[in-house]
Amino acid sequence: MVKVYRSTVLDAPADRVWRDLRDFNGLANWHPSIALSRIEKGHPADKVGCVRNLQLKDGARIREQLLSLSDYDFSCMYAILDSPMDMSDYVATLRLLPVTEGNRCFIEWSAEFECRPEQVTELTDTVGEGMFQTGFDALKKRYGQR
Amino acid sequence: MKITVNRSAVIDAPIDRVWAVLRDFNSHEQWHPAVDRSEMENDAGGDVVGSVRRFCLAGGSELREQLLSHSDREHTLTYCILDSPLPLLDYVATVRLKPVTDGNRTFWEWRSRFRAPGDRAGELEGLVGRQIYEAGFTGLRTFLADEGALARPEPPGASPPVVETVEGELLPSRAVTVTDHGGPDLLLLSDVTVPAPDPQEVRIRQTAIAVNYLDIGHRRGIVPGLELPGTPGVEGVGEIVDVGAQVNGLFPGDRVAYMARAPGAYAGIRCVDAGACIPLPAGVSDKDASTLLKGVTAALLLGRVFRAAPGETILIQAVAGGLGHLLSQWAKSMDLIVIGTVSSTEKARFSRDHGCDHPIVIEDARPLQADVMRITNGRGVDHWVHSSGARGLDDALACLSRCGHCAVIGGRDGQPISLDVNLLKQRSLTVSAPVCFDYTDDRPYLHRLAHQLFAKIQNRTIIPAIETFPLGKASDAHRKIESRQTTGTVVLIPDK
Repeated sequence: MVKVYRSTVLDAPADRVWRDLRDFNGLANWHPSIALSRIEKGHPADKVGCVRNLQLKDGARIREQLLSLSDYDFSCMYAILDSPMDMSDYVATLRLLPVTEGNRCFIEWSAEFECRPEQVTELTDTVGEGMFQTGFDALKKRYGQR
Repeated sequence: MKITVNRSAVIDAPIDRVWAVLRDFNSHEQWHPAVDRSEMENDAGGDVVGSVRRFCLAGGSELREQLLSHSDREHTLTYCILDSPLPLLDYVATVRLKPVTDGNRTFWEWRSRFRAPGDRAGELEGLVGRQIYEAGFTGLRTFLADEGALARPEPPGASPPVVETVEGELLPSRAVTVTDHGGPDLLLLSDVTVPAPDPQEVRIRQTAIAVNYLDIGHRRGIVPGLELPGTPGVEGVGEIVDVGAQVNGLFPGDRVAYMARAPGAYAGIRCVDAGACIPLPAGVSDKDASTLLKGVTAALLLGRVFRAAPGETILIQAVAGGLGHLLSQWAKSMDLIVIGTVSSTEKARFSRDHGCDHPIVIEDARPLQADVMRITNGRGVDHWVHSSGARGLDDALACLSRCGHCAVIGGRDGQPISLDVNLLKQRSLTVSAPVCFDYTDDRPYLHRLAHQLFAKIQNRTIIPAIETFPLGKASDAHRKIESRQTTGTVVLIPDK
């Protein structure tokens, strides 16, 4: 099992950031690598079990399923169903925690997956930097950062 | 009524560094301003689940807490209160750290649940949240900065931080210089250039500079320490301009207060030893922070010199003065009975508003003893803060209770003070002559006292009374203090 973990601090209250992040169909609105997103079968984006169909800017397609969504503790989990990446059993968790000092929030994004040993370094980088950190950098611009 | 308290912060240090401190259940006395002493029962280690720690709090009360869970893997620990002077019922708290990979920092969450009487819910929520958790965040930052463990956070990728690049340059400023020992007119403002800081120093653009009696002694030449030509002043507050190559944990833009044995504070910009600097919490203004030396002196007199306890009696000479009005408020917050001497009825009113229960207006040729004995029902006072030198020391000893303690401070008129030890023996009296810097060279102790002071200023237990003068009017400030016309503290403000 490979584990990837990234976290940062955003200069906005957790409930404000969660308004944007809880939208499972909203990734294309803020993540620079994502070109298009739609929810399959016309389900609402907060229906647990719904599948989002993402088109990346490089043309690749990824299908991901929402496994859990919690407005109570600002977190969601999702799994990759299909992707061009050579990995399996990919489950990711996105979570916000309030930083009461300064009314900011802490955001963590983590994933676990299986892959061939020689792929670990490359895929860890693709997920950790290409997906998570790139997303953080965009969010930091969106909300500002102290 | 059920209460949940949740506070969190980001610490500019790697998680391993922060956890190395917090994982020790017995470490609070090193970094938490509210905890004076901590010890483990049965000499248990600070990571033994089930072990009990015993806190002696800054106010004197005691607390027992038990470690319920501890995980190095999850960077978390849970504990409960066993005995507390406050009605925090079924109190269970969790400390949890998470790494902030972006910048190699640490997210710290401190939360608890407990029951409390409904009418005290708000008060206890605020007390736990602010005085324990938030004060703890600040305290740990200071502790890590002292150890050089606080890292500069990586600048955010997109926009480089906007910092005036003045590193290495000479900066023009103005300073008060004394070329001859003598009267206040010898304090003259002149243009200076301030070089870049030495490796262990920081360069500070000052915003508030407190005047102390020591400065007057330096100026007059009756207290050694100021070499001529020289700039007086032993403490200041301001913003860091740049830091020396070997300085850890302090950054340009930080607001700090400092106190140092070596004079040089009456200036717009100056360099000072980084170890003397204490970062300021957000809720304390620069002006209020400039009471550092006097506030810390008050704290160490009560806590270390006298070891004062609630219900005891203290007499403070010049209780309306800079040290006096801080000391009386601090003593009052510890439930001492405060008696003070003042020179006018106006100052008596002022001191009543600043913690003094029984101001006594001094009239010439009338000994204090009658008043003191009346107020203390003939018992005398436990503690006496004496600042008038040889004058009135006999009076002080006569007013002390059995085993009483007189601390001789200030009163630096250069005159010798003689003392008959046999007189002390008659009633087991103590006379001491504490000098603040001899205690505060112990830097962790200084930081603890400073944070106790800042916490008291933040929660308005202590309200400093401050009169300001422009830096260029330092001579007026000295003159007014020497003629005993000031109340509270006097602070010099440099031009922007």
